[in-house]
Amino acid sequence: MSARARIRAGDPGAFEELFDDYAKAVYNHAFRLTGDWSAAEDLMALTFLEAWRLRRRIDGEGGSLRPWLLGIATNVARNARRSARRHEAALARMPRGEPVPDFADEVVGRIDDAGRLAAVREAYGRLRRQEQDVFALCVWAGLDHAEAAQALGVPVGTVKSRLSRARRKLAEYAEPPPAARQVVGDRGPDKEEIR
Amino acid sequence: MTWPERDLPEGRHRLLKEFVMNEIDAKPRRRVLRPAVLAPALALAVAAVAAPLLLGGGTPAHAVASNPDGTLTITIAQAKDPDGLESTLRSMGVNAVVDYIPTGKRCATQPRGDFLPREEVRNPADGRPFFIWPPTEPGYVIDPGAVKPGQTAVLEFSVSADERVAGIWVGLSTGPVAPCDLIDSDQAPLGPPQS
Repeated sequence: MSARARIRAGDPGAFEELFDDYAKAVYNHAFRLTGDWSAAEDLMALTFLEAWRLRRRIDGEGGSLRPWLLGIATNVARNARRSARRHEAALARMPRGEPVPDFADEVVGRIDDAGRLAAVREAYGRLRRQEQDVFALCVWAGLDHAEAAQALGVPVGTVKSRLSRARRKLAEYAEPPPAARQVVGDRGPDKEEIR
Repeated sequence: MTWPERDLPEGRHRLLKEFVMNEIDAKPRRRVLRPAVLAPALALAVAAVAAPLLLGGGTPAHAVASNPDGTLTITIAQAKDPDGLESTLRSMGVNAVVDYIPTGKRCATQPRGDFLPREEVRNPADGRPFFIWPPTEPGYVIDPGAVKPGQTAVLEFSVSADERVAGIWVGLSTGPVAPCDLIDSDQAPLGPPQS
């Protein structure tokens, strides 16, 4: 039985493998949607709770479930209040992150990421909602047109036209994306590799 | 406008996975513990019911049933007597330690024993795991044949405020098992933390 079929049938073992395979992708997509690494953790966990709830909608045949998960994450971020209400009890039990010591390399990296994201989010925020969703999935998460269409449940042509509009508007609104910024005392571009 | 993808902070992947798996595991179990559902299912599937702890109204707080294939089905209607369940399992030949972990707590001593890797927690005769996924309803199915002489099965159940089981973790220890002295915790309640 395929992983898709096992998840659809409610196999927790298959779902655990799905989490291992795609938690990182969902987490990073969630960061790009929220601009906050801590919120991205919550959004990632909520996305998987929603994925389990919606597992019977998975087609038995098909490729990677990454587009499906990123689509759910996009919807969860878009409807954060409703998602939080649906999983209110679970959220109360969600383990909180450990405080990270000041000046840790990871914190420097996170601030830098957040700073870079803030610069483009200013322009991104001026896009229409549907354009934002397509842009986040196609440009930031790297889905192709067909995958983004699957994730959002819209035709491929719609994805293409929304993406085209989003690119045109961003070119009008935004400065060119900044080069990798340096933080005083940082160790250079290698910081991106710090885990 | 792209960034190298980041991993979750150290330990958070496992913690959030455990949270998600506990949450999705808890939902169907809460549903099937209603006596109207529990009783006929038990009558069909169970060969014998050993030493159930009866609550005031006559509903068993827990029960352990022997199945024709040698496995045992544990049902917990009310998580209030871990020692009783442990005693029941021992009387049925399973060298077990059972603990109920309330929300917001975990066992102070970690790891509690010298646990085998998950792939070794199996019945040597047929390769069946000690704890059998996916859970069949009702209850948790374990294979006593996976517990070899000298080993101890540790079963930790996370328990909600209304004394319902929300999740389970199992392990086989090849040595002594530390008692579970509960401490306040905002981490995942079950099993040893990631080293």
